[in-house]
Amino acid sequence: MARYNPAMTALRRRSFMIGSGGLALAATLGRNTGLAADKPVLVNSIRSLTNPYHATWNKGGAAFAKSVGCEYVTLVTEGNSEKGIADIRAILARTNGNMVLNVDPNDSPDARPIVEACVKAGAHVVTQWNKPADLHPWDFNPYYVAHISFDGVRYGEETANHLIQAIGGKGGIVALGGILSNTPAIERKAGLEKALAAHPDVKLLDFQVAEWLNTKAHDIVAAWITRFGSDIKGVWAANDDMGTGALEALRAEGLAGKVPVTGIDGIKLAVDAVKAGEFAATVSWDPFWQGAMGLSIPYHARIGAFDPTKEPKLHREFYGTGILVTKENADAFAKEHIESDPNLDFNDLWGRISGPIRQS
Amino acid sequence: MSVSSGPSPLALPGRERRALYRARLRAWAPLLVLIGLCLLIDIGNPRFLTIANLVRVATAAAIPLVLALGTTFVILLGSIDLSLEGVLAVGSVLTSLLAANDANSLSFGLAVVPVAVLAGALIGALNGALHVGFRIPSFMVTLGIWFAGVGLATVLLGGGTVRVLEPLVRDVALTRVLDLPVLVWIALAVLLLAWVIQEYTPLGRYMYVIGGGEDIAALSGIPINRTKVAVFTLAGAFYGLGGVMAAAQLGVGNAMIGDGRLFPSVTAVVVGGTSLIGGEGGVLNSLVGVMIVTVLANGLVLLGVSPYLQQAIQGLMIIAAVAVSIDRVRSAIVK
Repeated sequence: MARYNPAMTALRRRSFMIGSGGLALAATLGRNTGLAADKPVLVNSIRSLTNPYHATWNKGGAAFAKSVGCEYVTLVTEGNSEKGIADIRAILARTNGNMVLNVDPNDSPDARPIVEACVKAGAHVVTQWNKPADLHPWDFNPYYVAHISFDGVRYGEETANHLIQAIGGKGGIVALGGILSNTPAIERKAGLEKALAAHPDVKLLDFQVAEWLNTKAHDIVAAWITRFGSDIKGVWAANDDMGTGALEALRAEGLAGKVPVTGIDGIKLAVDAVKAGEFAATVSWDPFWQGAMGLSIPYHARIGAFDPTKEPKLHREFYGTGILVTKENADAFAKEHIESDPNLDFNDLWGRISGPIRQS
Repeated sequence: MSVSSGPSPLALPGRERRALYRARLRAWAPLLVLIGLCLLIDIGNPRFLTIANLVRVATAAAIPLVLALGTTFVILLGSIDLSLEGVLAVGSVLTSLLAANDANSLSFGLAVVPVAVLAGALIGALNGALHVGFRIPSFMVTLGIWFAGVGLATVLLGGGTVRVLEPLVRDVALTRVLDLPVLVWIALAVLLLAWVIQEYTPLGRYMYVIGGGEDIAALSGIPINRTKVAVFTLAGAFYGLGGVMAAAQLGVGNAMIGDGRLFPSVTAVVVGGTSLIGGEGGVLNSLVGVMIVTVLANGLVLLGVSPYLQQAIQGLMIIAAVAVSIDRVRSAIVK
């Protein structure tokens, strides 16, 4: 065997690295020139595909992409901000900026680097739910097309009002909140507090954080039953997953249907529970709409169907419209939204604006 | 929790006698912590030590106990099993798709239980085989299998959630025998099984030897590879059963049913006195550890502790419980 010569090995290793680096560079350059004239790639960035809400969002995006004949890509953050931003940068590089992005950022601060990366690459972007209060689409014309959110305060209050109505206007209720630092958690809790302030006969016995998870909600409600027993007349949950976990804990004590629960998100389980009289109300954001229109808006901006700079601020930052699901409309809602995919007009860009976003 | 028997303590010189007492105290520390916790919580809210609440605590502890028992065996080896959440997801999804549900017309009733347990065992066997065959550290293998498991569950369900309608499966959580849900009895049966495996089978003894010193075990002719694969398989079977129990308790199968369950499981094992290096601890330690973690969570809600403080308190509790039970003299090197 030849004598091991570190110098020679280092030289050979270096030339190998340079050679393969050059090859990789050539490959990427070669690929990019081909994409320039193509249709834009449509990209949805969401938390995960393991929850029904985002799974439906993804279906909406795929349906829209099919309707305009564009390539469709789904990115999942798995609750990891760094991964979310890195994946977006990677696809901006791959498509050379010829793409539109519909992103549900993992956390508010993530929106800024994402928007800046898209603007730099020349890709059109729509953000939903989370963004810093001082980040505005009109400061990043024309690429940051819009920000869509839903009024957590309004819907937290509406579901709380329905719960209070279901328990007869007085008594004790308990409340389950989402992750403390999430904007929707903070807003929905504020809505709950508004409803409570307006109904002095209803008392909030306790508020606990179940972090949007049904398992945590289940265990917390079980402990509450020990602590408060039959003083609990209703359970308010900031989302459906926690609401269904709470419902199962009540069921184990024989209280399902006797103690009403409310949630938010409008997932199938919650709608079924509303039909069965176990949930008093839930709110659907229509994630199919969010996944589809969140792509349609930047797509139409990119192909020149409208100019974002000429649109009013109401079209750049707005609240969408949630659908309150109660016993009265649960059957109709299930038929239209759950048993089949909703029939959307992808060209109706501004039809669901319910108001400007509260500037705090 | 055993301290070697030898000459009567009173016959030993002062320093050695004190060391022996300290060792005994350390062995019993987790149990003393648990008792102390129960008393403190009861002073704060006398409803804690009522039968109704203790039943709820037992119900909340049932699934974590089954999971922690599987994890204990792997940790005794000196390895770690991170695939818990993935196997749980697969187990719950299989249960929800094969028993009567709202997504398809299959209805295999309680036959889903052995199917889910077998699936868990197979995934565990895969863990063991990859770890032993390719000499990949258990941390890496089980990390990969965790994500693969959640991914498989996602693919099977298309990201959705399936409701379990089979009354026999739901009854596992909803019917009570002697006032305890069937879930709790299953957990106790698994505990008994795990204890028998640990104390009365060669597999159980080999776990300790491999954890205590793998090189010595090899020299003694112990079948290390076979034992490791068997232990991972057993752990996977426990997690699969945990998946059935979770689907029964929550009435759904979905890929995120395991979210957030790994950390409490490992915490319970460590707090109970099982060393992460291996070779020390056991099934009864994990029982105490699971009870500490569950009682603490229940107690914090009963005492009305602000949600902002709860995580901080749980973290401090873990540090305190481990500090009380580790042997600082023997472990001169601390990493």
